[in-house]
Amino acid sequence: MWSLAYGLIALAVVAFVVLYAAAHAPNFTTANLADQLYGAKKWLASSLSSLPKVDSKPRFRTSVNVVRVAEADAAAYDYGTGQWTTFPVHLPVGYRLERVGENVVYQIYLNVTRCRNATLQGGAAVTLYEVELRHSLDPLPWLEVYAAVPHNLTQYYSWLYGYYRAWGRPPAAGLDPAVGADAGLVELVKVEWALVYNAAGGTAKLYAAAPPTAPYILVADYPLTIPLACPR
Amino acid sequence: MITIRDVLIFAGLAILAAAVIASLFPAGEGVTAVPACSDCAFKLTGGYWIQQCGNYAALYLGTREAARYGWAYRADGRPLRIGESVACDTAMYLWVFGGVAYVSCDGSPPRVGRDVLGQKLPFVDVRFSSDLKCTTYTIEFVADLTESYAATVEVYNEEGRLVASATGTIPGSVSFSIPTAGVYRVHIYAPPLLDEWHTLTAQVRISDLIKAQVFTSNNTQDLRPSTTLKIFDLTSYWKRGYRSVTVRVSPFWGDLHVARPADAFADFLLAWEEASSGWYDPPLYWKEVWRLTFTQTNIVLTRVYSWGWRWHEVYVDYRYSINQPGVKTLIWTWNKQGPRHNSYTVHWISTTVWIESLDSAANARASFLKECLWS
Repeated sequence: MWSLAYGLIALAVVAFVVLYAAAHAPNFTTANLADQLYGAKKWLASSLSSLPKVDSKPRFRTSVNVVRVAEADAAAYDYGTGQWTTFPVHLPVGYRLERVGENVVYQIYLNVTRCRNATLQGGAAVTLYEVELRHSLDPLPWLEVYAAVPHNLTQYYSWLYGYYRAWGRPPAAGLDPAVGADAGLVELVKVEWALVYNAAGGTAKLYAAAPPTAPYILVADYPLTIPLACPR
Repeated sequence: MITIRDVLIFAGLAILAAAVIASLFPAGEGVTAVPACSDCAFKLTGGYWIQQCGNYAALYLGTREAARYGWAYRADGRPLRIGESVACDTAMYLWVFGGVAYVSCDGSPPRVGRDVLGQKLPFVDVRFSSDLKCTTYTIEFVADLTESYAATVEVYNEEGRLVASATGTIPGSVSFSIPTAGVYRVHIYAPPLLDEWHTLTAQVRISDLIKAQVFTSNNTQDLRPSTTLKIFDLTSYWKRGYRSVTVRVSPFWGDLHVARPADAFADFLLAWEEASSGWYDPPLYWKEVWRLTFTQTNIVLTRVYSWGWRWHEVYVDYRYSINQPGVKTLIWTWNKQGPRHNSYTVHWISTTVWIESLDSAANARASFLKECLWS
């Protein structure tokens, strides 16, 4: 009888200690910003080629998750008929991308404003891209710029022409059917680039010097790689 | 032997123990300890407050400093000024990212990152389509929207006059029709989503010309031997409101008087000469004169004049349905046995006209196709 009473009291004391310790132990959940950022960029990378493409600037300025494209004619060799043909291609020239994670807002704005031929000091001819860049995160994680140089330009456009024939709509250089789908046809060359911040406004200028034969450059904010072309 | 006295003493002791334990327990939630962590989120109760000092932010419990962070931000991303402090009524929610603390009193998670895009309207896909005969045009708005927006479509002609307007919704579609061929400016207005201009070209494309040339005004030259068939496009005159026009086709004399057709999408006058070169029986280009009128649904050929001593044959391409090839049909003969239709209707969007004669070097051909383009 008495031993039962002591037992119950001991049990109550143990329960109190356990509950008190549980209520007062440091208790937290992990919130990993880097993981969320990686997830947001990965989501954008996977959906990049399926984003709507617009060629009107007002629509581009007001919409989100859109790609601005410029239409151009490309020459291709039709292996089926054995003739040269021209077909329309979309050149991706601007992006307004956003992905909101639990604690991170990832936004990137890229817009090709100018494109011209230039000669480097060594005498090499390059295409100089001037790209407007806005980024939601101040410390921009490291940025890399590559130029996609086709092994054979005719072969590259003929490959695109195949997609034009299959879809009945213009393919986007570097973007359709997916970023990196042309890996066997092009060589990614690291190019010189410079980022010029503007103290007065939030828009930085990215300058990249790509080989003139490259149909597009790739701006990589790993794992998101964004193809940008020169409007012609 | 258990007695009632023992039971009473046991119950009394049990109640006493329970009361002592309950009095030891803090009521509700007590003061929580601050976990030493980074890349984490936690809730603090019990009078914590955070103050931004010169080069660090200090988390205080009453007057005791509990933790230090690199800087303190509010959940909306605004950093605290030096000397500024935040205290919460019931509970304080803290997110620590890389040594920097974000404070929220209502538990709403902070979002790291500025807004650099500005306006973020949902994307509306504008899809244009028309029926095969280019009579009804439909603009379809495809968007993933919970509410619908009113959309107005206005169609202006080359002179800037409003020729058609229609209203609809986004998502949804708008349909309109235009009476005649031409280049139209189409304004799609649906604030705040859309305000844009497009160009709609509804036209008859003339191609595949053999010994033929197209004119939009008088031509009295002798263009043989390269041209035996002159095609005059009268559409713009009817659009400008003329009730009849006089077309000069021959070098010396020969005026053709043409009245405005009742319902024409496009209207052409075809004047052909039977002699490919050299001497001709005047007036020149009067040997077969035909009118080719595109209505909204059909193509009507009407004979205006025939003349000359050689035999002529006029053929048109007649098509019965979309998946059948066209048939070259003889509709008119001159100085020869054969069908004589003064008027012939092709129920299709395209046709080809052949005019053939004894002098095969004068044989002419032209194809007409109604098409509508959107850009």
